[in-house]
Amino acid sequence: MQIYLPIAEISVNIFLLLGLGLGIGFLSGMFGVGGGFLMTPLLMFIGIPPAVAVSTEANQIVASSSSGALAHWRRKTLDIKMGLLLLVGGASGSIFGVQLFAFLRSLGQIDLIISLCYVGFLGIIGGLMFIESVGAVLRRNRARHASQPVSKRRKRRLIDRLPFKTRFPASGLYLSVIPPIIIGFFVGTLAAIMGVGGGFIMVPAMIYILRMPTSVVVGTSLFQILFVTALTTFLQSAQNQTVDIVLALLLIVGGVVGAQFGARAGRHVKAEELRIALALMVLAVCTKLGWDLVATPADLFAILPLREGGH
Amino acid sequence: MITALAAAILLQGQPAMDIEPQSTPRVVAALSQEVVEIRSDFAGAEIILFGAVTNMQAEDDLVIVVRGPEADLRVMRKERTFGIWINRAPVRFEDVPSYYSVASTRPLSDVGGFSALRREGIGLQHLRLSAPESERTEIRLGVEVTVSEIGEDIIEYRDAISRNRRRDALFAETTTGVQMLEGGLFRANVALPPATPVGDYEADVYLFRNGNAVAAGTVTLEVRKAGLERIIYNFAHTHGWLYGLVAVALALLFGWSAAAIFSRR
Repeated sequence: MQIYLPIAEISVNIFLLLGLGLGIGFLSGMFGVGGGFLMTPLLMFIGIPPAVAVSTEANQIVASSSSGALAHWRRKTLDIKMGLLLLVGGASGSIFGVQLFAFLRSLGQIDLIISLCYVGFLGIIGGLMFIESVGAVLRRNRARHASQPVSKRRKRRLIDRLPFKTRFPASGLYLSVIPPIIIGFFVGTLAAIMGVGGGFIMVPAMIYILRMPTSVVVGTSLFQILFVTALTTFLQSAQNQTVDIVLALLLIVGGVVGAQFGARAGRHVKAEELRIALALMVLAVCTKLGWDLVATPADLFAILPLREGGH
Repeated sequence: MITALAAAILLQGQPAMDIEPQSTPRVVAALSQEVVEIRSDFAGAEIILFGAVTNMQAEDDLVIVVRGPEADLRVMRKERTFGIWINRAPVRFEDVPSYYSVASTRPLSDVGGFSALRREGIGLQHLRLSAPESERTEIRLGVEVTVSEIGEDIIEYRDAISRNRRRDALFAETTTGVQMLEGGLFRANVALPPATPVGDYEADVYLFRNGNAVAAGTVTLEVRKAGLERIIYNFAHTHGWLYGLVAVALALLFGWSAAAIFSRR
């Protein structure tokens, strides 16, 4: 059964969209990731214009992150002060990203930049995650024979020398406000360009750069993602009219149901193996997009509308 | 718009010059549907163009050209840079029809002469695709000709547009698309693919005799969004910020209600 999407202006099979939502939702529930980094490229593969795919995916992430954010809010497993700082950076990053997106589109280079961002970030994150999780599995196997004490000593780094320090009681940190704002801005910009929540960058940045305790990392990340994607959806709607509400609803319906089943399935799998699988998946998407950049295209010419969506 | 108007005037003026008084042919045409509505179940449409020709002779041919709304395009050629294919060398084309299909009783080269087809822009080969920014006019042998500044390459760019549109079935050429029935009656199917853009369409029916268009008739067609598709589209374009708020609110509603439903179980 085909459905005509009013903003994307193409006709797509409704079950394909529900299935995509369900499948990606399942994976995101299982791995605890947003799934935007998988969904946005897939939407483009099936022919949704990149501008619509990116904006609509931001709308879907609002739904997929909202239930998680609410749960963490109730359990108080989030650092609101840190979240607000990340949000200040994220909101400005989102505003900047939406402008940058429009500018790159006017140059005819938006597809290239989206692909390059994906290949770069997915490659780095997937690679690091793979190495780290394989290491963890090996350590776990070794730990059965002899457990090693983990060093908790922290070195004084560049980040600790920055001014405007403040206390983050929930995270137990005394840190400058500059790194969270910069990280938030960076992730907000990427979210607007790549159509992702940015959790896959935000979570490692919180753990390795800000050194937040893992108990509040996921909740804080979801809190920030929820607000930044909501803002991105709003800005893209107001400025570029590229949010397709019909497409978003179909993906959301599939996604929220899939995520619940995925979360249940995830409980029966060991965390390290889960991370290895996620890393392999991230690397697979990265390889596919990277291959498309270097392989000789079927048609050497690109036809670009001069103003999208305007009549 | 002005070019379309000029073409329409040209069309009407055309047959008057070549008329033979004893058997002035006339073309009357109509569409099975004058409005095509794009609703949520739209997956393309097929409409029938039919009509009659008076004083038709045995060797006459009919050609039907359907043109969709025009838009400006940018065509870029991909070039390999540091191993990556990058869009380069943009050429801006103006007033390119978003839909263009030709149907005829016989292959176009048998129907009309090169100049007659070129003048009316009949056939994918003769469709006017102009890139004014890369063109200049020169006087050669006393005749004003259009010269492209990128030389022969412009042909590749034009072919790329045609190839791209044919892939989505937005450009089409069928040499047997027009069916002649008895008594000068004719019919042809006009296929509108799922990617059909909204706007005003014009279908021109040309009667060719001895290689020249001797009569023509025009019918118009409107493709528009209807029902919910139209409401959503208009809402998005007139109240973008409110649309954005609704989109966010719906997402939150779905996210939270799903969590509530599943946590109760």
